[in-house]
Amino acid sequence: MKKYELKLDRRDFLKKSSMLGVSTIAPGVFFQELAHGRALDEPASSKIRWGMLINTNQCTDECDACVTACNEEHGIEDFGRPTTDTQWIRKMTLTDELSKKSISVPMMCQHCENPPCVDVCPTGASFIRDDGIVLVNKHTCIGCRYCMMSCPYKARSFVHENLENQLPHAPRGKGCVESCNLCVHKIDNGENNTACAEACQKDGHQAILFGDLNDEESDISKQLKKYATKEVRSDLGLNTAVRYRGI
Amino acid sequence: MRDKTEYMVVEFSRAILLYGIVALSLIGLGMFSFITLEHEGHWLTGMNNQVVWGLPHVFAIFLIIAASGILNIASISSVFNIKIYKPLGRLSALLAICLLTGGLMVLVLDLGRPDRLVVAMTTFNFKSIFAWNIFLYSGFMAVIAIYLWMMFEARYNKFVGKVGAFAFAWRITLTTGTGSIFAFLVAKEAYGALSAPLFIALSLLMGTAIFYKILFWMDRGLGVTLGSEIISRFRKLLIYFIFTVFYITVLAHLTSLYVTKNHDFEFFLLFSENIYTFLFWVGQIGFGTILPLVILYNKKLSKSALGILLASILVILGGFIMLYIIIISGQAYPLDLFPGYNESSTFYDGVISAYTPSIYEVMLGLGGVGISAAIYIFAIMVLDFTPTNLDDKHILEQNQKVTP
Amino acid sequence: MYKRISLKILLTFSLVFFSGASITHENMPHNIDESAGEKCVEPTDIMRAQHHIFLTQQSHDTVVKGIRTKKYSLNNCINCHIKPVADGTYPSVKSEEHFCSGCHIAAAAQVECFDCHASKPFKKVAKKIGSLEK
Repeated sequence: MKKYELKLDRRDFLKKSSMLGVSTIAPGVFFQELAHGRALDEPASSKIRWGMLINTNQCTDECDACVTACNEEHGIEDFGRPTTDTQWIRKMTLTDELSKKSISVPMMCQHCENPPCVDVCPTGASFIRDDGIVLVNKHTCIGCRYCMMSCPYKARSFVHENLENQLPHAPRGKGCVESCNLCVHKIDNGENNTACAEACQKDGHQAILFGDLNDEESDISKQLKKYATKEVRSDLGLNTAVRYRGI
Repeated sequence: MRDKTEYMVVEFSRAILLYGIVALSLIGLGMFSFITLEHEGHWLTGMNNQVVWGLPHVFAIFLIIAASGILNIASISSVFNIKIYKPLGRLSALLAICLLTGGLMVLVLDLGRPDRLVVAMTTFNFKSIFAWNIFLYSGFMAVIAIYLWMMFEARYNKFVGKVGAFAFAWRITLTTGTGSIFAFLVAKEAYGALSAPLFIALSLLMGTAIFYKILFWMDRGLGVTLGSEIISRFRKLLIYFIFTVFYITVLAHLTSLYVTKNHDFEFFLLFSENIYTFLFWVGQIGFGTILPLVILYNKKLSKSALGILLASILVILGGFIMLYIIIISGQAYPLDLFPGYNESSTFYDGVISAYTPSIYEVMLGLGGVGISAAIYIFAIMVLDFTPTNLDDKHILEQNQKVTP
Repeated sequence: MYKRISLKILLTFSLVFFSGASITHENMPHNIDESAGEKCVEPTDIMRAQHHIFLTQQSHDTVVKGIRTKKYSLNNCINCHIKPVADGTYPSVKSEEHFCSGCHIAAAAQVECFDCHASKPFKKVAKKIGSLEK
């Protein structure tokens, strides 16, 4: 008897070789997104600067998919106390004083390059990461709320009550200040997109685009070069990472 | 230059008992409020994501500024060599410590995470004025302690001038640091560089008024006779400082009113139908400036201890209201993210935020006052801070005392 | 005089020496979900003495540098060590049935981790945005 006998007719051969081909290429397609992301043990690098481009021409007053997505992603509960409930992203309605035309603008932490909140934090809990994300180190935050006073965009919220059932990727607790962190847990895990941008893309509005401002080939950089964009409160010289079209 | 004033250790009496009961009750209220807020969270207070600093911070900053200003009485003697104030030096320094402790306690107890105080005292971001203030406040305690030591120890009395001058410089820096908390906020229209000298002027006024209140209590409660010389001196001090605060206030508002960009905010503060306009004109200007001046220039009232007391109380009320307006109105007025547009959102953009202090905040603030009072009572019963007699004979004798 | 001094020295010495037992927590109970894995990422005695050091260092690495290695990740600890109680729900962190609280309540050493961090494992459904199942 032959030791190795490959029992393979033509049909079998085609089936098996195509399966082999697909199974070689498919993971490459599936993991392509992950391949762009950082390895888990790699620190954030200053070669990247994460930013967002928001096209308010695509926003409508009625839609708040970005807000809902953010709340779900981070386990932000509605306690029915709007003055103290946390909001990381909100929709602002702007009405021109002269023409009375109104536009809808999503507003969140602008991730400034020169953040006033980082300057005023007494313990250094509010800090800017190497890749441009401004966030609060909740291990060091003492809850003094000075950063909330200093933010020109009113981006920060203070957690006023005991929280339970926090999501494991979004630790949040009473007594600390927090704000949009560009879904840092997703970025660090290689999913280079934010919950709000994903929800907006899924809803079909395509108003929010997230990407690397330092990468000239990224979609966001190309769009920033193509269209006229604005920085909110540019008079303050903060060089924000979030830019807007249509305002 | 040896201090030849007679001081005494105050004995327990009915006046002390009453004072102590009030102080301890206030501390009790403060503790109850702190424990409740620590467990439940700040949602019980009136502070929220729009008005993040409320009544506790008004109390805290009031006490801290008053602490800095009350040391002025000692400085007048040590630094400016007006010897008539020398018998008051020890009390002035003691009260500075008391008020500062009370103010800092309110500030710390209102933190979202007071359990992280150790973090706050070991991890610093030196670009933050808050971090510098931590050093300024704690250093101030040490400086006052050394100042007191120089005053108590007869053979060191000759150093009181130099240490006093150092303490004076420290005081000015500390009050500037406190004012700069607000001045350094880039986005707020309400605050600017004048916040620092305004706070310095306010500190002098508050310190003088609170010190006089204590002197009056010493006269009625402890039997330390208050002479007409002291009364006349404090009358003059109050007048000078009322005018100084008034001047800087007018300067700040007039300059701001000149700039069209700031009109919305200035009109909101000065000429609207809200609580801040009412408090400004009735509280700060009426009760805090005009009425005290009327009393201080009135022929009969200005010569009586009771008249000056009334003026002091009105001034303290006016100063407290002024701080309330400064701290709260600057936050209640909305930030203008998009000049030229009217803004609205679910996060209270574009609207004036309402702020109503809750009972917890009042209790916490009063707790700080109670702590200051308790430390004062305890200290005067332990060491000889209190001069025995402040009548004209003893006071004017200070001018005749010659260096040994 | 020498008797008094030597008694004091003996007392201090015994206090320090015999308190070692409570410091190393030899008698503390711990409930581990053995079904989740064979062993912890470090030997038990090292973990007992230094788990807070590993967690603190990891917290700094994760928040400030964005390094999310699994070995000392708090979520990784939770996923292994927190097992459901009889009725299938996870124990509250306030009760002694919770792995961390089992020791920390007994030792009266309060931890602030769970003021913010999730104290029980969450099951991820196969979509990118994590959802929760209690």
